[in-house]
Amino acid sequence: MSEQAPSLALILISEDLEKLHAGSLVGSVAAMSGMKVNVFVTMNALVPFHKDNFEETDFKYGVVGKEILAKKIPLFDHLLQEGKDFGEINVYGCALAMDLMEWKKEDMIDVFDDVIGVTAFLGMTNNAQVITM
Amino acid sequence: MRQVDFTKQVDARGTYCPGPLMELVKSIKRGQMGDVIELISDDKGSRVDIPEWVNKMGHEIANERLEGEDYYIAVRKMK
Repeated sequence: MSEQAPSLALILISEDLEKLHAGSLVGSVAAMSGMKVNVFVTMNALVPFHKDNFEETDFKYGVVGKEILAKKIPLFDHLLQEGKDFGEINVYGCALAMDLMEWKKEDMIDVFDDVIGVTAFLGMTNNAQVITM
Repeated sequence: MRQVDFTKQVDARGTYCPGPLMELVKSIKRGQMGDVIELISDDKGSRVDIPEWVNKMGHEIANERLEGEDYYIAVRKMK
């Protein structure tokens, strides 16, 4: 049997800035460490990825998120982009939630590779380690 | 550990995790095999995270030292 690169499936569900930041950080560092990473952004986690919300930094956050914004450290979009630039990380929007919100890929910040359904995502992430946030 | 000659020095002081690691990864990926990149970080997590990444990726730690709160690590690109 051929050796398969270790792979990570990251499912982002929450719109909390801290969870997005932690998930993007783990995914990005995993990609830079040689793992193949697939990120599925679904439900409320899509909200901060919408251009309107992102541009207005209209995020939901607690005390740590407040410091993330106050200290102007690079946000989840930057972490994901760095992972793409220096590793293998693909980011997918959930077709169901996007349809419900009547959002298209072009309404979102430019980190999404595609908008797909859960069956396609599961097909990509066979045998992967799964992290849900 | 003795200091070594480096190809390039990257000063990542003032950035938070994973900023220093990202700066090192960028320089290693853009460099040639055998290049030595010296990273400076004042993020305490770097002292554990960076050697872990270097070993995992099969590169070599050419030098590692602490000067006050500043952590210096020189990494030789091995592949």
